[in-house]
Amino acid sequence: MKIEAKHALKSVSIRLKKWTVMSLRNRIAFYYTIATAFLIAMVFAILYFMVESIVYKQFDDEVNKEVTEVFTNAHLTSHDFTSFSRFKTFIDDNSEAKQDLKEVAKVDTEFIQLVNVDGEVINKSINLARNVLTFKSGETTMIYFNSTINNSSIRQGQLPLFNRNGIIKGYLIIAVPMKKAIIVLNDLQNVFLFSFPAIILTLFVLTRLIAGKSIRPIEKVIATSEKMTQPNINQRIELPHHHDELYRLSATINALLDRMQDAFQREKQFTADASHELKTPLAVVKGTLEVLVRKPREKEQYENKIQFCLMELNRMARLIDQLLMLARYESNKMSPHIEVVSIPLALGAVTARLYPIAQEKKIEFKVKGREKSSVTADPAMLDMVFENILSNAIKYSPAKSIVTITVEQKERTITCSITDQGIGIPEEKLHAVFERFYRVDESRNSGTGGFGLGLSIVKRLADLQQIQVSVKSEKNLGTTFSLTFPTT
Amino acid sequence: MRLLIIEDEPGIAGFLKDGLEEEYFAVDIAYDGKNGLDLAMTNEYDLIIIDWMIPVISGIEVCRQIRKSGSLVPIMFLTAKDTLEDVVFGLEAGANDYIKKPFAFEELLARIRVQLRSKNQGDDSLRAGNLNINPGTHQVFYETSEITLTPKEFALLEYLVRNKDKVCTRSRIIEHVWDVHFDSDTSVIDVYITFLRRKLENAGCGNLIQTIRGVGYIIRES
Repeated sequence: MKIEAKHALKSVSIRLKKWTVMSLRNRIAFYYTIATAFLIAMVFAILYFMVESIVYKQFDDEVNKEVTEVFTNAHLTSHDFTSFSRFKTFIDDNSEAKQDLKEVAKVDTEFIQLVNVDGEVINKSINLARNVLTFKSGETTMIYFNSTINNSSIRQGQLPLFNRNGIIKGYLIIAVPMKKAIIVLNDLQNVFLFSFPAIILTLFVLTRLIAGKSIRPIEKVIATSEKMTQPNINQRIELPHHHDELYRLSATINALLDRMQDAFQREKQFTADASHELKTPLAVVKGTLEVLVRKPREKEQYENKIQFCLMELNRMARLIDQLLMLARYESNKMSPHIEVVSIPLALGAVTARLYPIAQEKKIEFKVKGREKSSVTADPAMLDMVFENILSNAIKYSPAKSIVTITVEQKERTITCSITDQGIGIPEEKLHAVFERFYRVDESRNSGTGGFGLGLSIVKRLADLQQIQVSVKSEKNLGTTFSLTFPTT
Repeated sequence: MRLLIIEDEPGIAGFLKDGLEEEYFAVDIAYDGKNGLDLAMTNEYDLIIIDWMIPVISGIEVCRQIRKSGSLVPIMFLTAKDTLEDVVFGLEAGANDYIKKPFAFEELLARIRVQLRSKNQGDDSLRAGNLNINPGTHQVFYETSEITLTPKEFALLEYLVRNKDKVCTRSRIIEHVWDVHFDSDTSVIDVYITFLRRKLENAGCGNLIQTIRGVGYIIRES
């Protein structure tokens, strides 16, 4: 059994080298086989030793029976060594032995031998002939052990004999043959040793088969995933029937793919929008100038067309600025410099800047709420947030209306709301207002001149500063953008 | 030749109109899909240029509606959408050609001429007897001598030659040579026909343009 274990260990170390290239299927089979091998080895060992001990117990009982027989026949006890040693006839009594005096002991009957404390033979049964039974010195109790005589296995019992004072003076050694039993035990051992590798091998092959079958859905997952490239991301892994780990794996991968597809879709939309927004003014300028130079024209006509082209180019430059800003904020390269900012001051700066535009439409700013509210934010970013929201408010407000700015404090949270009296945003479009290039009014030439990037920038800047932005709107009553600042 | 441009970007619509009118086309403009579709359905155009992304009704939908009505008028898409799928999708929706923004005006012009070329015409030049018209250079030749024409005269002659051996009714001539802003007083045609006949006769071309009384005019090949 020990050799088997060693062998197994060796093969483990060889296998370990190939560990990284081993397939899951083989690994499962290997683990399983190792575990089962240990278990089977243990069961075999226990079985073997149990059988062995039962067999030996049988022989030990036989030895004991013989001892009792000796004592009864001679009317002796173990505490009477002197009379024992003087007792010469107990062995001669053995009639079987008498009849068969030979030089070499026959090993199919029991043997008896009397020794003194040093192991010198005092007396022995005749059937032992010239052979001597093995003696183990220094023992103080009855012991049983295996031995051989003439290359035949025997089971020996060694009983100490005392004098009347309780001192060990010699030993009575009884031996019984166990040739047949040993053959049985050896057979058993052989059966175990040969069947073990066979069982393990069969087990490995079977487990490998079963493992292969049970991980086949994984192969499917791999095959489907491999097929998936960016233009072909709309495929999904077929969900297995059983709601097991593989089902969860497939569902998780599918959910991941959904999110990726969504992101791809949005990215594609963004690229399409950006390219449209950039190409349109380019096409206008290019076309206008091309038509202009085809024929000689009046000076005034040249000036008009060039002015027109300049306007288009300015618009394009503004778009590129906003796109770059958005790209920079979205790539997280800008980290906010958070400090304590006074809301009235920040708002004051922006409203002063926007005053001329507001004046054109006769729009009034009205500030309500706490005078001295301070929040933590990046001053430059907050300025841009306010400017975008306020200029939107002006853009979408009718002439002679009021834009209300409310600063509220609830417990430790400060909220700043900007409300216009414009046409409002339909509820089904509210969720999309922060998306890039999204305009509630779908035609590009609504006269407002925006690109639909302002609110995306607001959202991104607010996220960077941990400000929550929300929007509420009522048709024909106006729209409210609320900024909720982080608590200090 | 009368064109309809459906384009919501005033800058593009503007220079297209300017440039094409200089090329003797009559140009109508619609700034959204619905308006454009209405115009396309009520007037007879020789070619329609449609932007894909336009308000109210998309360019694709306009194209489909026109095709559904049975019209075979050449349709060109003019759009910033530039992926392969977009091009294929656009052409499959019934468009004859597809040009991506930003584009060169000369290319657009050449492509418009390709669409206007009739099936049995190898190049752009038009012929009627010994009369030779080159729409690309706006030149008209009788045998080897050139006849100088005003833009309207040229457009009128071009239309008649393109439809040679067919009677061109007065209302059709108005529709194809003059744009939508022109009031329906068709007597202006007679004036231009008179100018044309005079110039052609001076060149030795004879009486090429024949009057079909009460209907219109015709140019016969023979």
